[in-house]
Amino acid sequence: MSKIVYVGFAIFTIYFLFPLYILLLVAFSPAKYTIESLYPPPIFKQFTLNNLIFAFTQYNFLQPFIKSLIVATLVGIIALLVGIPAGYGLSRLPAKIAYPVLVLLLITNMVPGIVVAIPISAEFIKLHLFDTPIGLALVQELITLPLATFIMQGTFSAIPKEIEYQARIDGASALSYIANILVPTALPGIIAAFLISWMFSWDEFTYAVILSPIHPTLPVEIYINITRGNELAAVAFSLVFTIPVIILTVILQKYLKGEYLTGGIKA
Amino acid sequence: MNREDLRYLFFTIPAIVYIGVFAFYPAFDAVFLSFIGSDGQFTLNNYKELFYFNIYGTIIDTIIVTIGALLIQLLLGLGVASILAREFRGKSFFSTLSIVPMGVATVVSAIAFSFIFQTAGGYANTFLTMLKIHPVNWYANSYISLLVVMIADSWKNTPIVALILLAGMMSIPKDLYYAASLDGAGPVRRFFYVTLPNLKSYIAIALIIRGVSEFNIFALPLVLIGFHPLILTTLAYELYSTTTIYLSSAAAVILLAFISVLIVLNIKLGGRR
Repeated sequence: MSKIVYVGFAIFTIYFLFPLYILLLVAFSPAKYTIESLYPPPIFKQFTLNNLIFAFTQYNFLQPFIKSLIVATLVGIIALLVGIPAGYGLSRLPAKIAYPVLVLLLITNMVPGIVVAIPISAEFIKLHLFDTPIGLALVQELITLPLATFIMQGTFSAIPKEIEYQARIDGASALSYIANILVPTALPGIIAAFLISWMFSWDEFTYAVILSPIHPTLPVEIYINITRGNELAAVAFSLVFTIPVIILTVILQKYLKGEYLTGGIKA
Repeated sequence: MNREDLRYLFFTIPAIVYIGVFAFYPAFDAVFLSFIGSDGQFTLNNYKELFYFNIYGTIIDTIIVTIGALLIQLLLGLGVASILAREFRGKSFFSTLSIVPMGVATVVSAIAFSFIFQTAGGYANTFLTMLKIHPVNWYANSYISLLVVMIADSWKNTPIVALILLAGMMSIPKDLYYAASLDGAGPVRRFFYVTLPNLKSYIAIALIIRGVSEFNIFALPLVLIGFHPLILTTLAYELYSTTTIYLSSAAAVILLAFISVLIVLNIKLGGRR
């Protein structure tokens, strides 16, 4: 029996790692062994850093990188500003009321990005938010707010209500309770919500390509390089772009569970 | 609803207003714009014009990608989840590994797969020639191109399906398996007679959640196959960048119509659970 498990283990390990291996292969091999060869060898023939050096000196990396950083951080901050109160409210409401609100958030997550982005681009041009980091962050928040709210709700639900009653008897206002007791106690969940929001914004493409095409974020810049045939630049940028997110994903593993991804509704 | 509940509901208002402004208003706006002509008058011409852009073929291609990708992800997801449901040496390594593709940006995974499925100089063809099989032109027709999209998308999304199915497998009482093995059922029969029937609702959740995302698939086909063949999102984007906002809204609204059906299905299923 365990033999089948290990065969599956081996097959899936290769399956999950193969595309990443190909990225590394193309990034660190001379072009004659990769994109310029008819049937490129699937192993390293020669190691080079020239592709990376060329990409980072000849193509525009820094501006898209900084824009991605700013937008992702804004998305994380907005997620906390709106998500902490929402998660707190939902964690204290009876299911009868919380459930419809959760469904509403879940529906938002399903509205196609392109449907939202096209009319918003017209509005943003009028409001001078088109191509700005804050404009893009406000719209990308749509993807992360529901997720952040679910994570907060889950974290806050684990904190006993009695503590809140106790604080109130001691004369703490709701805001002071949230700031001084709830948030510090729930800090791990809050950090996870921030980082997951950051990560989703960092990866986001649809809104970015429509709402911020002139000063693109990194994923859009990578796409632009691919369409122009600068494949090696695209690979080099992809590597720098991917490494922090893979690390975050592994760290945040316990928050990327089925129940959050399905929208917090348990079967 | 008592006063206490109202107080808590108050805290959720910013979030509700937020999604109202940034999701519901634009969605209604898109529907409105799709019925406006360049002269600002009400018209159905935008929808008529979509026929010049082969809207039927686009819808069918979108459905093909969705169903194909769902089948692949369900199959692989079941495999990964069945492994993760067991105890074995190296389990924590494997569970970390199986989540890695989730952390790889869609654009990046598209680029990796574009190197694999290159007609001249792709790694898939390298392996085919090694096995003495004739190399394939991955962009020869729309079905092969769509298959490439399905495979690339499944790599990134199998982990999500696996996590949902794993949550389901963990909820199946162990007694059922003991009882089945006492009755002489082997691993294969236990899978078909115990695991699958008990996993039904989780499979339904995974299919609907992923189905909605598959319908919305955008960056991956854009990078991998460009605008050939078109699917609903790439059609809307192409029209947005080359024609009017009215025409592109019409394409987006057709996409929204399909998604709405899936959303209603989801809520119905959610209500039953």
